[in-house]
Amino acid sequence: MEIYVLVKQVPDPEAMIKVKSDTELEIENKYFTSYFDEVAIEAGLKLKEKFGGKVTVLTVDNRRVDALRRGISMGADEALQITDPALEGSDPFAIARTLSAYLKEKSFDLILAGRQAMDDDAGIVGLAVAECLGIPHIHSIIGLEVDDQKKEAKVVREVENGRENLTCPLPALFTCQKGLNTPRIPLVMNVMKAMKAQIKKVDLATLGLKPADVGSQAAQIKVQRYLPPPKRPPVKIIKEDFPDNVKALVKLLREEAKVI
Amino acid sequence: MIISNDIWVLAEHQDGKIKKIVFELLSAAIDFSKKTGQEVAALLLGSGLEEAVKSLTPFADKIYLMEDPVFIPYTSDTYLTGIAPLIKEHQPSILLGGATSTGKDLFPRLAMHLQTGYVPDCTGLSIGENGKLVAKRPLFGGKVFAEIVFSEARPQMATVRNNTFLVNDKPDRSAKVISVSAQIAPSIIKKKVTGFEKAAGAKLDITEADIVVAAGRGIKAPENFKIIEDLAETIHASVGTTRATVDEGWRDLKDQIGKSGKNISAKLYMAFGISGAIHHVLGISTCKTVVAVDTDPNALIFNYADYGIVGDLFQIVPALTEELKRVLASE
Repeated sequence: MEIYVLVKQVPDPEAMIKVKSDTELEIENKYFTSYFDEVAIEAGLKLKEKFGGKVTVLTVDNRRVDALRRGISMGADEALQITDPALEGSDPFAIARTLSAYLKEKSFDLILAGRQAMDDDAGIVGLAVAECLGIPHIHSIIGLEVDDQKKEAKVVREVENGRENLTCPLPALFTCQKGLNTPRIPLVMNVMKAMKAQIKKVDLATLGLKPADVGSQAAQIKVQRYLPPPKRPPVKIIKEDFPDNVKALVKLLREEAKVI
Repeated sequence: MIISNDIWVLAEHQDGKIKKIVFELLSAAIDFSKKTGQEVAALLLGSGLEEAVKSLTPFADKIYLMEDPVFIPYTSDTYLTGIAPLIKEHQPSILLGGATSTGKDLFPRLAMHLQTGYVPDCTGLSIGENGKLVAKRPLFGGKVFAEIVFSEARPQMATVRNNTFLVNDKPDRSAKVISVSAQIAPSIIKKKVTGFEKAAGAKLDITEADIVVAAGRGIKAPENFKIIEDLAETIHASVGTTRATVDEGWRDLKDQIGKSGKNISAKLYMAFGISGAIHHVLGISTCKTVVAVDTDPNALIFNYADYGIVGDLFQIVPALTEELKRVLASE
């Protein structure tokens, strides 16, 4: 099977992030591979182990390629960075067009991505790529079985009140949710190897895109202003002894917060 | 082409029962329309929708009704094919939906298809001075918020979390129903839903519940969740949990709150025996009122709570259930 996995390096949940100005953030230099993308890489590797073929990890990023190196250290065969100064300020739709411009020239059975990246939690790029390529997608999968002969997948997807079972012809794009698998921890030796691995770079011109197709001038959505989170009033610790503290809490919830 | 400039809301429903977030969005749309003179329309797809139409009527000026069993169960294939031509024809200014599994599945792809902008998982919407939509949403798990605006492409699309707007208790519109035939060619349906396993308990999902009560590792054993479930029962709450208990296999992944689980926006969130690891609190940053109970007075969860009790959950939770039963019975 030919499998492509879309990955992104994002600020670690522990990283300090502050509003620097209306349109600028200060982000502590602590990054990791978005967890759901690791789940996607693992899903791709499992299929490769079963059916043979190739797993390629793919990112659009001008600065960070650690998610690609993570992919290689886990076992991906190839890594590709799409990078171009004109990509600065691109919105998720432009990123999707860029990825699609590359992928539409390739033959593939499956594209995998995380259900959303753990920075903006938007969950747009994967599904928008499926639309650009005109292939079916299934979002937030927690189960995957592929019939390579029939070029068909059986998929389980999580929805609010239960689990949906679906069948889907390949090629398709699936976004992966926690629970689909447990991403492998790469061996130290493979991590070392990945540090030195060749990462192929592609720019916009190679993809047949013009700078005006991407970047902030092509953006459909734009941040007008960053805001710090609303401040919560300091916690009211209820100091009465048990069981008066429980009675006091219920009173506060009913009379002050008015939520029960 | 008619330039309608309307505000449309996707009227998502479960077996013909309209979801609460839809009424929230229609209530907000009615507020916006008072300023802008736009009409409010609900977009309803499915079959067996008499009750749904009835409940939507006072909340909209128009209901675009696509009655066709092909829309049950939901797939993006059928919804996109049904909705996209209608949007191209009528050119609404705004299209809103709930940040549900359906909304998050459909809207990104529909926006790409229509070559327009979409902002997911919003916690606020407003109309700017120029009459354009401003969408507010948390980034990085609520460490930062962003106000996001749209290009000139239409419609301006957004999905919105539960409990963002109040539902209008005196809606005064009277929608006219516009039936639209769907015309879905069977060949466009690529993926097929072959089965559905309903979640045990059949409670509202933690992203949809007004009240969520949760316990973490402090609950010590999976069977001890019984006391949390009893409390939930008393106040019609859903039960959430932390990554630790899910990774232990004690609770289902669908109930996990936090960075690798779900972001919740409950009116009331109560955390028992939850220390408040950053992964968890990033998932509760837009809850309205937060209660924390933990034995450790220095637990980080207290930094994110409105009310706190330093105490043993095994003592507090059953007493809280009893006290709530008592006061609710006396009403």
